[in-house]
Amino acid sequence: MNARAFTSDVLLGIVPIALLIGVWQAIDSLGYAPLSLLPPPGLVFMRLAQQLLTGTFQQEIGITLLRLFAGFSIAAILGVGIGLAAAAHPAVNAVVRPIVRVLAPLPKVALYPALLLLLGFGHASKITLVAADALFPILLSTYYGASMVEQKLIWSAMAAGTPRRQVLFKVVLPAAVPSILTGCRIGLVISCIVVFLAEMITSSDGLGHLLVTAARTFHAVDMFVPLITISLLGLILNGLLQAVRSYLLRGFPEV
Amino acid sequence: MTVARTVLSRLAPLLACLGLLAIWQIGALILNTESFPTALKALRAIPSILGDKEALINIAASLRRMAVGFALALAVSIPLGLMMGRSRAVASFFNPLLMIIYPVPKAALMPIIMLWLGVGDIAKTLVIFLGVSLPVIYHSFQGARAVEEKMLWSGAAMGLSARQRMIRIVLPAALPEILTGCRTGLVLALITMITSEMIARQSGAGNILFNALDMGQYDTVFAMIIIVGAMGIGLDAAFENLRGRLVRWSEPRFDLPLSFS
Repeated sequence: MNARAFTSDVLLGIVPIALLIGVWQAIDSLGYAPLSLLPPPGLVFMRLAQQLLTGTFQQEIGITLLRLFAGFSIAAILGVGIGLAAAAHPAVNAVVRPIVRVLAPLPKVALYPALLLLLGFGHASKITLVAADALFPILLSTYYGASMVEQKLIWSAMAAGTPRRQVLFKVVLPAAVPSILTGCRIGLVISCIVVFLAEMITSSDGLGHLLVTAARTFHAVDMFVPLITISLLGLILNGLLQAVRSYLLRGFPEV
Repeated sequence: MTVARTVLSRLAPLLACLGLLAIWQIGALILNTESFPTALKALRAIPSILGDKEALINIAASLRRMAVGFALALAVSIPLGLMMGRSRAVASFFNPLLMIIYPVPKAALMPIIMLWLGVGDIAKTLVIFLGVSLPVIYHSFQGARAVEEKMLWSGAAMGLSARQRMIRIVLPAALPEILTGCRTGLVLALITMITSEMIARQSGAGNILFNALDMGQYDTVFAMIIIVGAMGIGLDAAFENLRGRLVRWSEPRFDLPLSFS
């Protein structure tokens, strides 16, 4: 793709976003919606900028991020570990596969009340929910990545004298990295969504809680601010993961 | 040998369910607290929920909203995704917008949408619609993009119009991928439904769950979890069955859900 086509693509992509904000502004300016229900975009973004600078708001973001990262890390470690083990060992596979088949389509959010009862209303229940939701995409893509490794690579490594044990870490794991990172990306977005929802359902802090408090007091502006914040966080984290990906996969042909 | 093996692979998910229930039972017996009933107790509470007329009406209403939201989302997302896959202009038009919407928790829009549309069916269906749309658009997009150009050229050479090519070549060729998106969408529809009901706390399965939690009816809480979980597993299995029939011609795939975005 040449530079010119790229710029025109970017310009084309900005159009619907600009249109959306334009329509939003127009609805307010033309008086179709009361400002208390749909605050104009300028006001919302001003409020967002103002909030981002206050300490309390930053604290709420910090709490949400803490839960998000804790849950995501647990999911990543367990997912990659179990996925690799299942791909490497038929016996593990025979046990893991049916369990994953049953648990993956189960709506994890339904477990939230049980987690509340077992782990209390603090961080633990939310982190566990995030981990449970982010686990399966990571586990499944690790499993696929690891079981798709070309057999020839493994044979070559073994012929070159690599012990069986090390083949897993020297051949299978690196070959599965692109697939694992794709799973992590899905898992990360899911973590963002789930942590916010868990905070909305029951919490005394965090971004999700801010939305609920704003909704109870009918402050429409303050309802938009946490939503836009979590969406921005999602985009930033996605970008960071993309950077990690291009660092880890430097030299690989882009897939 | 092979017969025994297929029987075993059919039974494996069932065994996994039983195993998980057994772990739960043992865990509950060890912890022995009132707020964590044993699996047997929770299973025993299921008939009383399913026998309760009001609860049944509530759950049926939830499922109806879910079906409507899911169907509407498919009707919009599949054509949009296919068009995005076949035209670079359409793709670069919608992609950035979708990228921004992707990390927004759809069920979190519930309070705002409720403010505009009230707590009725429309708000809840709209949220489900939004939740299902993205994965279906994404997979239709990927599916349509991977269609072989030669088939389209042959179609064009034989006099098919652009619209006919879309329906007779791109749609069938992308169908396996589209159905993968639909499978993800179906589970997401259930998740969004439950979550939005937990947030709105007006009616439905999610509301029953949290009402029981508030009133300390822990057996009911856990029984509802089993019911919702069974719905998810059942819907997924039913869809998988349907998919197997629709795209029998496509290459055999893994029996595990690949993408749960």
